[in-house]
Amino acid sequence: MSDHVNGAAEGTVANKVPVTITVNGRTHRADCEPRTTLADFLREDLGYTGVHLGCEHGVCGACTVQLDGSTARSCCMLAVQADGSEVTTVEGLAEDGQLHPLQEAFWNRHGLQCGFCTPGMLMTACELLADNPDPSAEEIREGISGNLCRCTGYQFIVESIQEAAPKMRPAT
Amino acid sequence: MTTPDTTHAARTSTPAVPMVGRSVPADDAGAIVSGALSYVTDRRASGMVWAAVHRSVHPHAHLRSVDTSRAVAESGVIAVLTGVDVPNNHLGSDPANGPVLADQVVRQVGEAIALVAAVDEATARRAAALIQVEYEPLPVVSGPVTAPDEVASVSLHPGGNVAGTIGFRSGDVDAALGTAELVVEMDTVTSAQEHVAIETPGGMAEWDLGKVTIWCGSQNPGLHRRLVAHALGLDADDVRLISNPVGGAFGSRNDDPVPVYLALLAWHTRRPVHLHLSREETTVAGPKRHPYRTRVRIAVDGAGMLSAIDSRAIADTGPYVTSGRYVLKTSAEMSVGPYATPNARFDGTVAYSNNANAGAFRGFGVPQVAFGLELAMSRAAERLRLDPAELRRRNLLRAGGRHSLYGHPVGHGFRAVETLDAAAEHPFWREREAWAAGSVGPWRRGTGIALAIKGVGMGSGRGDIARARLIVATDGQINIWAGPNHTGQAIETSYRQVAADVLGLPADRIRVHVGDTELVPESGATAASRSMYAGGAAVERVCAQLRAALDEAGAGRPLQEVAAELVAAGRAEYEAEFPLPDVADPGRIPPEALAEYAPHAVYGCSAQVVRLEVNRLTGEVRLHGVVCAVDAGVAINPGATIGQAEGGVAQGIGFALFEEYRVHEGRPVTTGLENYLVPTAVDTPPIETILVPGYEGTGPFGAKGMSEVVVVPTAPAIAAAIGAATGVWPQHLPVTPERLWTALRAADGVVAA
Repeated sequence: MSDHVNGAAEGTVANKVPVTITVNGRTHRADCEPRTTLADFLREDLGYTGVHLGCEHGVCGACTVQLDGSTARSCCMLAVQADGSEVTTVEGLAEDGQLHPLQEAFWNRHGLQCGFCTPGMLMTACELLADNPDPSAEEIREGISGNLCRCTGYQFIVESIQEAAPKMRPAT
Repeated sequence: MTTPDTTHAARTSTPAVPMVGRSVPADDAGAIVSGALSYVTDRRASGMVWAAVHRSVHPHAHLRSVDTSRAVAESGVIAVLTGVDVPNNHLGSDPANGPVLADQVVRQVGEAIALVAAVDEATARRAAALIQVEYEPLPVVSGPVTAPDEVASVSLHPGGNVAGTIGFRSGDVDAALGTAELVVEMDTVTSAQEHVAIETPGGMAEWDLGKVTIWCGSQNPGLHRRLVAHALGLDADDVRLISNPVGGAFGSRNDDPVPVYLALLAWHTRRPVHLHLSREETTVAGPKRHPYRTRVRIAVDGAGMLSAIDSRAIADTGPYVTSGRYVLKTSAEMSVGPYATPNARFDGTVAYSNNANAGAFRGFGVPQVAFGLELAMSRAAERLRLDPAELRRRNLLRAGGRHSLYGHPVGHGFRAVETLDAAAEHPFWREREAWAAGSVGPWRRGTGIALAIKGVGMGSGRGDIARARLIVATDGQINIWAGPNHTGQAIETSYRQVAADVLGLPADRIRVHVGDTELVPESGATAASRSMYAGGAAVERVCAQLRAALDEAGAGRPLQEVAAELVAAGRAEYEAEFPLPDVADPGRIPPEALAEYAPHAVYGCSAQVVRLEVNRLTGEVRLHGVVCAVDAGVAINPGATIGQAEGGVAQGIGFALFEEYRVHEGRPVTTGLENYLVPTAVDTPPIETILVPGYEGTGPFGAKGMSEVVVVPTAPAIAAAIGAATGVWPQHLPVTPERLWTALRAADGVVAA
């Protein structure tokens, strides 16, 4: 009986395949099993532990990264599918030691508590503000509705994104 | 203790800006936003092995055999452990808390039967799935909440299926009910709620030189250390638990057996071991909020004065009791809410079943009983055509008044009137008629209000103590080790604020460490709304000792110079404790039974107003806003306090509208976040938090706990708003669209007939 508590008796180890992924501007070449998820590859093989796993079935959004400029759930794709891609994780948001405005805002405005959802939330918020530089509170809620936070009740997350938005808009 | 007027003046000789009262970001915030914070499940070590758990697929069965041979033979497997490999196969000293690994009988789907350690995670999980268990199924006990008419044919434990009872009465409830002008009854069912801390349970353990070190989330490191020592037959001093950083808790890390699994595996393999449960395992096997059926009757006169509150509650604790009796005890105390009435009665039972094992969850037995009581209060107001806030106000217990059931005096920091008024003065409440008048088409608008209190700490007679240790170094750097620990609420940041103000020193001179049993003196659980209050008070006391030494050395001298003198004189180290105060007199409770009822001297309070719309055709509910007034005494860190309030409201929304861990004849229907719905940012409306000015004289700088009470009023306020909008008063949580639609149809049928 294959079931949700014990998992399936998975097959034996397959041959490893080479994968090349650029993460936060740095190119990594590594061999990995075809079944390895992108999240596990980033965390275990490359050490990007800012990628968090909260459900491994694509609901919580904690594992969200940017893949070639769009958000992706790294738990729901395989590392081999990301071969040749550019990935940005939360560790790549800061530039030259300068935190991203979203990082600053989440820090200053209590946009986090335990912090486990924060990396995914930041990556989603980044894309949200790139697509819509001046979102309403409702649009922010819609935009982050694929990322679960169990600590904050979202209010301070919404306010953090509102605070960061003008800092990310090009000066007019 | 301090008084509000002299706090800073008496102690601060330097012109430092007070830290207490400032919204200081969490100490870990910088590491969190940059992705650098290493959580307990991120930890790895060279030579580390990976673990997996084999779990029962039956809700109730004899284990005829457990055949591990195929798992053992699998290449890369290091160890396969079953119950016989545990030196003392119990989770603590009470057998009703269950075994570490199943012993002859399993009583729940998901109960742990075997542990596997292997060279990598995939091998461990594959080997765990290869374990062959032969079950002899036994009749399933669905329990008194899920199956009220069930006559159980089997007992889950030698003493039967009742895990505990509690009863108490004051006055003559039956007489009051018999002569009342109005009796309102609510018969409520509240469901099993899953914590859904975003980081699932897990971590690492290492065995070294006769000692085991465990990195794993825990809300009670001292308790977990004792559980590990008990199971492995070790001295507690040979068990070290490091319990953070961790991704949320909410009660789930009180009853979590994972620290014991980790220690057992490290002890057997003599290698570093990593285990991280999947979301599916956590959903099925992890603790839940106890499901309750509660029947509440209130008696009121025409002026809305309460003459009786009568509650009967039955709780489903699942296969093992863990926190169940304490949860029920808390329900008993809070069954009368913040109200004064001469007659009150509570009869409660907590029963075993083959459903999910239930344990601690934020609010700890209060949301379940407050739901029916608050709904009855709102309904009574409607029947009497009184403002529901006014009906409550007329019946409120005042500071220093006596508890309606137990008769003990509540403390002078009690602020129910002020808290209710803060919520009721909000435009959401004052303008509720205008809001209702804006209803369009099938979307009917309503507003609801509710109020709750929750005791701070474990309660009287239980010897509840928090401690802190401080060392000042020759360079003037101050380190403080304090507990209760941090599970996401940045408690160490607030401890540091308290320390800075007591010492009159800049906060960056002070480092606070939490969550390590080797270094932090035993301080009890991060639970029962006690961390800021008790941990903060212990920090305040230990800092006062150093402050006295600094003052003695002479004001105005450089700290470094004085610190060096203190070190040289052997006066660099301090320790203090804060025993939580018991009630001043036990009222109607026999003094020798004080711990049995464990009443509180200090209560936090929250009043909430919910504005919503209900679609009368579909049963959908759209929330438009929540106002949360909360009495935290003095908020040491208002930003963190408001964050706790808003997070509590969101969990209250989940409890009210979405969250239900479902089983059918003991088999899980809910298996993960695809079918267990947690409120998203769209489901959660804007939340406005009002910090009610208050001062708790026994707390550090006037602070008291508040993180549980905020989860309580949300559901009854939502249900009352639905009642106001539609005339249908939902009594079964969560109020899913299906449940509400069914109730609305039934109501329409009555009207049509």
